Amino acid sequence: MKSTLLAAAMMALPVSAFAQNCEMKIGAMGPMSGGAAQWGLAMLSATELAAAEVNQTGGVKIDGKMCKVVVVPYDSKYTADGAAAGANALAAQDIHLIIGPVGAPEATGIKPVAARNDQIAWNASYARNALETKYPLMFHIGPGPGGWADPIIKRAMKEWKFSSVALVAPNDQGGTDTAIVDAETYRANGIKTTEEYYQRGTTNFEPIVTRILASNPDVVDTASSPPGDAGVIIKQLRLAGFKGPIGRLGGPGTAEILRVSGGLDVVQNFYWFETIPTGNPKIPEIDNLYRKLLGKDPVGGSAVWADLPAARLTLKAVQIAGTDDAQKVAAVLRTLPVEDPNIGQGRWGGKKQFGIAQELEFPFGIGIIKDGKDLGVTQQDPAAE
Amino acid sequence: MQFLQATIIGVSLGAQYALLALGFTLIFGILGVVNFAHGGFYMLGGYVAYSCVAYVGLPFPLAVLIAVLATAALGWVFELFLLERLVDDHLATLMLTLGLYLVITTGAMSAFGPLSMDFRFPVGGSLHVGTLYLPWQNLIVLGVCLAAIGALWLVLFRTDLGRGLRALADDRAVAMAQGLRPKLLFPMAFALATGLAGLTGALVTPILSLSPGVGDPVLATSFLTVILGGLGSLEGAALAAFVVGLVEAFSSVYFGGSIGALVLFVLVLLILVFRPTGLLGRTVRGA
Repeated sequence: MKSTLLAAAMMALPVSAFAQNCEMKIGAMGPMSGGAAQWGLAMLSATELAAAEVNQTGGVKIDGKMCKVVVVPYDSKYTADGAAAGANALAAQDIHLIIGPVGAPEATGIKPVAARNDQIAWNASYARNALETKYPLMFHIGPGPGGWADPIIKRAMKEWKFSSVALVAPNDQGGTDTAIVDAETYRANGIKTTEEYYQRGTTNFEPIVTRILASNPDVVDTASSPPGDAGVIIKQLRLAGFKGPIGRLGGPGTAEILRVSGGLDVVQNFYWFETIPTGNPKIPEIDNLYRKLLGKDPVGGSAVWADLPAARLTLKAVQIAGTDDAQKVAAVLRTLPVEDPNIGQGRWGGKKQFGIAQELEFPFGIGIIKDGKDLGVTQQDPAAE
Repeated sequence: MQFLQATIIGVSLGAQYALLALGFTLIFGILGVVNFAHGGFYMLGGYVAYSCVAYVGLPFPLAVLIAVLATAALGWVFELFLLERLVDDHLATLMLTLGLYLVITTGAMSAFGPLSMDFRFPVGGSLHVGTLYLPWQNLIVLGVCLAAIGALWLVLFRTDLGRGLRALADDRAVAMAQGLRPKLLFPMAFALATGLAGLTGALVTPILSLSPGVGDPVLATSFLTVILGGLGSLEGAALAAFVVGLVEAFSSVYFGGSIGALVLFVLVLLILVFRPTGLLGRTVRGA
């Protein structure tokens, strides 16, 4: 009788009370300051939303106890040392699961350290070695430029006639890994391509714009330049009299680019890779969900939507594994079907490029601005493996 | 034509760097303090001007003026109530100015968020002559920068305040024996310098971008320029600013963005090897 009463009392407790028994910390990593801040803050917003969803249903069960998921952010500043230090800082807080980091230098920095610390990390970089078989706890929010550059270039060639392009990107791994693949893909489509690299941290691009325009390209592509940099480059290109289309076969951030460059009137003709097909009405609902659960606006634009499935899948794997042990969670993750309530169906890819099928692939979007009018984003499946 | 274009860009950059470097070297020359918050005042100038335009609806020139006054006032208060007490302790002033920089950037991040603001220069378009171009906004900023440099020169070399400040920079003990009061003049020197940084920020951030991190490269450029010109030398800072601007423009135009950055640092390294006090620096600070 006594035990029945105790069980009844336990049942009567609010769900949130179970979640307060313990905490399970999860890391959110990426650049949260500087020109690429939007990408890191998107990683944080996505992780916060996934955690809030789980907490709403009582949290996750760890070793038989219901635990509240707590998000711990880390600003890895788009650097290898920042991400490596971040992995250690999170490990010191007993964190085994990291959503992030974002950039290729960060991916390079975190891989060996997270492996040593026995941590899962989800990088969203476009590094040519974003995944490696020797780091089986590394997962990738993909696809990379090999999966989307070709269809975007083909679409741009339908919208505008051009035969030459100048690519501009930072001169570190975060810039070159994407720009090299972009350049190869432009050349494969018969476009004469030049590459121009700059020191990350450059604030005034006038000398570089002058140099680019000396080669008289039909198109300038800002590749994986941070959105803040790309906005300044576009503004200065237009002031210098460049009238051709501007491409962006790199990371998302069109809202930030429009804000910095001066808007649609300045940008005029623009095509870009959007990590997610934003035209799907179920996808922008993510922002409303975030506002409802967290009482504030998400930060990071469409990158939040692209990062969310990784965070949701990871917490689902924790639920099934019943632990936040990285090895056990990774084993469950690999068996989970790739589907998301907002984004839809996806697949595990990466076997062909990286030798390990731990890349999360969903359809992506191609965005077009033509003659100062935003024509929206159309859905496109990634190239088949 | 590329040569002329690079020259135009270099002079334009040089004038902006000169305003920043003059403020930075003024503080070092007179107070003996390396102001690590200099980039913060630049950024703050941008945010004050932005707030005046976006939230109050003031015209841009008035917003710039308010930004200058606000950054100068903050500099004056900071020097008078915090820096003044420890002005001769180099480590303490370093920590204080670094701390102020962190407070300013974190404050901006909390108030405005980490992303860039939609802050536009009120004048668009460019003057095109053949293949040469000069954005009107750059021309206006260049004019204001040159006028500010001229005004600073008049203050320092044609007024009692300037004479007093230069006397304190030359030899503080003798200047004080002559009746000059550092407690009155130091805050004014600091305010003058931070006002210049605020002016540059208010003018330049709508041309480039405005976010809490824009002060970081400003500190690096100011430091590089004043070391090249000679720490504490006003003429050296002005000369070095135009050297840095022109070298940056020419090296980036002719060698690209990666090698361009390298050329500048190699040049500074060479100058410091053969002339350790910088272009116009002195061996020993008098103050």
